[in-house]
Amino acid sequence: MNTALLLTVLEDGLWSALAAAGFAMLFNVPVRTLPGCAILGAVGHAARTLLMQMGMSVEAGTLAGATLVGFLGLVFARRWRTPATVYTLSGAIPMVPGSLAFRTMIGLLRLAEAAPEAAAPMLADVSVSAIKTGLILGAIAVGITAPSLLIVRQRPLAR
Amino acid sequence: MFYDQCSDTSKPPLDREALRDVIDLALWAGQLLLQYGAESERIEQTIHRLGTGLGCDWMDILVSPNVIAVTTISGAEFRTKIRRVIGLNVNLTIISAINRLSRRVEDGELDRFGVRKELDRISKIKSHYNRWLVVAMVGLACASFSRLFGGDAAVFVVTFIASAVAMVVRQELSRRYFNQFLVVIVTAFAAGVLASAADLLNLSGQPETALAASVLLLVPGVPLINAAEDLITGHMVTAVVRGIVGGIISLSIALGLLLAISLMGVRGL
Repeated sequence: MNTALLLTVLEDGLWSALAAAGFAMLFNVPVRTLPGCAILGAVGHAARTLLMQMGMSVEAGTLAGATLVGFLGLVFARRWRTPATVYTLSGAIPMVPGSLAFRTMIGLLRLAEAAPEAAAPMLADVSVSAIKTGLILGAIAVGITAPSLLIVRQRPLAR
Repeated sequence: MFYDQCSDTSKPPLDREALRDVIDLALWAGQLLLQYGAESERIEQTIHRLGTGLGCDWMDILVSPNVIAVTTISGAEFRTKIRRVIGLNVNLTIISAINRLSRRVEDGELDRFGVRKELDRISKIKSHYNRWLVVAMVGLACASFSRLFGGDAAVFVVTFIASAVAMVVRQELSRRYFNQFLVVIVTAFAAGVLASAADLLNLSGQPETALAASVLLLVPGVPLINAAEDLITGHMVTAVVRGIVGGIISLSIALGLLLAISLMGVRGL
């Protein structure tokens, strides 16, 4: 593997770890789980960046990264006897398309005062960011619930 | 692995008083889970585990966006109660503690009186992290996002200051019980005004990165992820409501940011 790519991914992991740790503290995670949350944030986002550098789309990369977070979260949960949500929710935060979500809304608001001929391309932009936001969120959710969809299944609570 | 939470008919029947106690405890636990950001599937399973662990044959649970209804069943006897729940901030320590509590009940370590004591302790858990530490870490988190967006060192510093100050604004407004969407609009506005410094003072070549990153502390990550999770696990009503709440919070961020951009006259996103 070339060193430039490795450095990019490592730097990405460092910033993602800080982002995940900050949000984990905002979510008041138990103190002993904080390192695990930061590690998952780094691993998930860095994996996504690596895959995207190798030519994968952001949606597919997110699915792969979030699945990694989901399974590692299960391992951490077993190891430190904490529900996996603590790890997976904090670990998924760096991948959440937050900026895309409010860019969609800004686009919608600007559409209201756009000239008729400018409105069509703006509408296309808004639609693309809305669809991307939805797909990335879906990928995160499928990824972090993958363990409970595939391995730790439960009988439905109805009789 | 496959967990079977099937009803156990060999249990001794509970009387009406015991059923009332179980339903009260189950609703208390469920309320804490729902208001501190657990997904619907987890709420159902935890309440079910708690109730059957305390001696009920079966629990029927309805998780709505702001109500939980529970029916406890033992032998031929049953009782039903609902509880109103309002969403608060996310608190994963409380969710983790309730989960552990339900496991202990399942293993027979705690009876009804022990559970009541534990729930009382859990509901009084305060934040582990000092308020100013959270402010600094949230600032650092948003500044880290600016690096992930490709921002330079000046953008990093501006984002850190803007989002840390915005976090203080958010804490102060939330403490005074302002409407949650209003809090988001005002906080995004404050973050946007401060982040405009990157453009106004010509600190960096990519000032719009500071604007985009400084409001990330407001992103409704947990409602949006929970919405998608609820959708996958088949809890459609809570999924739709959480999704709409996430959308309105995103809209509020956009409103606050647009207001700041037009007031400061800076280059937009």
